[in-house]
Amino acid sequence: MTERIDWSALSGPHVSRRTLLTLAMASGAVGYAARLNGAWATSRLPTRLQDVPQGGTLRLGMGITDIPTLDPAQETTGIIAGEILSNIFSGLVQFDSELGIIPDLAEDWTISDDGLVYTFTLRSALTFHNGDPLTASDLIYTYERTTDPEFASPHANKLQLITDIAAPDDTTLIITQSAPYAPFLATACSRGPGRALNPIPKTVIDEIGNEGFGRTPVGCGPFKVVPDSVELASGLELVAFEDWYGGRPPLDSIEISVIPEVSSRLSAMESGDIDMLDIVPAIGVDRLAANDQFTIVEAPGTNWWGLRMNLTRPPWDNPDARMAVARAIDRADFNEKAFLGKVVECVGPIAPAFGWVYQDPETVTSPQAYNLEQAKQLAEKAGLADAKPKLMLQSDDPRPAENLRNQLAEIGLDVELDLVNTTAYFERWDAGDYDMNITGSVVDADPDDNVWNYFYSEGPWNTHGYSNPEVDELLVAERTTSDQEERAAIFQQIQTIAQQDAPFAFLYHEPDRTAFISSVQGYVPIPEQRYLETIWLEGE
Amino acid sequence: MTQYIIRRLIHSVIIVWGCATLVFFLIRAIPGDPVIQMLGPEYTPEAAEAMRHKLGLDESVITQYFRWLGNILQGDLGSSITGAETVRGAILSGLPKTMSITLLAFLIATLIAVPTGVLAALRRNSFADFAVSLVAFVGVSMPSFWFGIILILIFSVQLNWLPSLGYASFTEDGAWEWLKHLILPSLAIGAGYSAILMRFVRAGLLEALSSDYIRTARSKGLSERRVVIIHGLRNSLIPVVTVAGIQVALLLSGTVVIETVFSIRGIGRILVGAIFDKDYPMVQGTILLITVIFVLANLVVDITYTLLDPRIKYG
Repeated sequence: MTERIDWSALSGPHVSRRTLLTLAMASGAVGYAARLNGAWATSRLPTRLQDVPQGGTLRLGMGITDIPTLDPAQETTGIIAGEILSNIFSGLVQFDSELGIIPDLAEDWTISDDGLVYTFTLRSALTFHNGDPLTASDLIYTYERTTDPEFASPHANKLQLITDIAAPDDTTLIITQSAPYAPFLATACSRGPGRALNPIPKTVIDEIGNEGFGRTPVGCGPFKVVPDSVELASGLELVAFEDWYGGRPPLDSIEISVIPEVSSRLSAMESGDIDMLDIVPAIGVDRLAANDQFTIVEAPGTNWWGLRMNLTRPPWDNPDARMAVARAIDRADFNEKAFLGKVVECVGPIAPAFGWVYQDPETVTSPQAYNLEQAKQLAEKAGLADAKPKLMLQSDDPRPAENLRNQLAEIGLDVELDLVNTTAYFERWDAGDYDMNITGSVVDADPDDNVWNYFYSEGPWNTHGYSNPEVDELLVAERTTSDQEERAAIFQQIQTIAQQDAPFAFLYHEPDRTAFISSVQGYVPIPEQRYLETIWLEGE
Repeated sequence: MTQYIIRRLIHSVIIVWGCATLVFFLIRAIPGDPVIQMLGPEYTPEAAEAMRHKLGLDESVITQYFRWLGNILQGDLGSSITGAETVRGAILSGLPKTMSITLLAFLIATLIAVPTGVLAALRRNSFADFAVSLVAFVGVSMPSFWFGIILILIFSVQLNWLPSLGYASFTEDGAWEWLKHLILPSLAIGAGYSAILMRFVRAGLLEALSSDYIRTARSKGLSERRVVIIHGLRNSLIPVVTVAGIQVALLLSGTVVIETVFSIRGIGRILVGAIFDKDYPMVQGTILLITVIFVLANLVVDITYTLLDPRIKYG
């Protein structure tokens, strides 16, 4: 794979949106997206926010069990970063509806020809919520804080290629890296997922410490935290930031409630206790859709899920055994029985939200397509009759695993469900101590995030022993290529190999659904993110 | 009596210390590494090592134990290892919620159990007795989370009378808001509790009413009302109070489920979340608190015996 030295394609202020759309059209992804929802094609921030009704409180219910911390450099839950932190903190860049990269704090940026030097031009007169000016030097402090070994930020690895960071003046930030890294803007500099470099005010850390900052952070995004309202794990209140560079958001405030139980979330919506439900679970889609007071907005998800087989253990060291499993799964039946028909069939590790690279399952013939006869033949060839593999799972929802167990019995596999608690699950997950498990990727800013982690020989999540030198080479090429068109072709090539090698039997993508009461207007869906500054309440 | 209470308090300290120590080592014996879970998708061996070092989890368990014990003696319960909260902060925010639910549930249960129990005992084998017993059986068998969901569907979704989630502070939001948020969760656990309590009131009163002193009281010509309430009910309360004491602790654990259904983060939910996350300091702190409450509740029960039955004396 030859390296393209056309890094200007990633320079700002709009990254390759045209290229992305052209590619999306070519791959049929736009057609797919258009079927999902008309709002999907809306571009971000077109509205003059001051022309819409001002005021009111949005009550947002969130399907999480708690909020461990509000410090972006410490938060590891993608949903919290995408839905809460993205409203409190800004990034250098942010996403549009197609996950294209557009300006946030940086109004423009350039990337050197060798792809190593990023020069950001910040907006002038930016301020933090406490009124302190926000300049390029604050980004340097943020970099130093995130990468401080004593601070142990889980996001430090996103900044590991940086060799130099400099601020020649208040609005210029120059970041130099040791090697080109195409996903850098999305994974390390963006609002939401790129939280490693969300600017942090040093004066506040000096005053209240890192622990205090995790409870009552001071950011620079469109909403600021009401310190007295914060009860981590119960919720918090945000109020409009008057001096936000984009102008004061229409909403006065947002009340965020943590609602761990699924049925309670749906009831809270129906009883009028919340105005917006962040994520509508599969079981709630028809229930809420039947009520004309609610609007469900659907965007393609950035996630994919598959049944992972551990190649270091028999029988999964045999490619025929893995392909037998992949072909024995009727995805339509799985969708219907495990998810009430509310998920999308998945053919590989590229999620529908990445329109520039996603391939519609209807246009792709996967070798993993359901074919019970062939599956039985392969199972016989691989001697699966006596195999009793264990499928490791957490206790939250056993239906997907139970459906797979039933389907795999058709080819003579006696799958045992191995139910373990969450901590043990992750420990065994990381140690590669499992035969099979259902896993995948949830909130990503770029397909590189998880494809590298799962399919690169030394990838951090590749605990299943998958190794294909050709895939390794393609992954390195994808990271060092700036041309999105070329990257898309590489990802699609990786997907084809992954389908054939079948370390995973690819299963489903979950669309990103959110629900509102009808007075909530102006929401612009961005997959797995909830940027709320465009929302207004009708009747205010 | 004072000496007795002091002795009991000293015993209590030993019990609490024993429980705390047991919990400290047991929670570490459960399989699973909190750091790996905490890092989730951001896991790399290097990040895990750095975080372990930061949290002091790379030290020996014995070192960790003595450090923790030393901090406890200075009143420092530590900080959550999985989040930005202090254990003290979490308990101070969770305790009023759980206590409010528990006390209101206790009140609701008593208000239901005592009159219905008395009625069932006085009209033994009547239709009323049968009906009350049937309702009690349903109450005992009904899981509180299911009853909670049914209450939400009726009173929040259909009638829109009461909120389906959250907690309002008595001091900041006012008594009515506070009560409005508590009625459904308290009713959900109080109903089951009242059924148990009612069975004890009925049985206790039946036994008391067949005693000689009741016959004496009746023969003295006392009114039936006085016989039942002063002589019968009071003497039947010893087993009821015993059960009530145990049940207060059970109510505390009963709130775990109901706090989840009603999205109220009280002690129960803090504890369960901490166990799932293996947030050691939070588990240790909340169990310490629950142990203290349990031990004190038992002490209160024992002292209440002396008020109910002057023949009981501690010395």
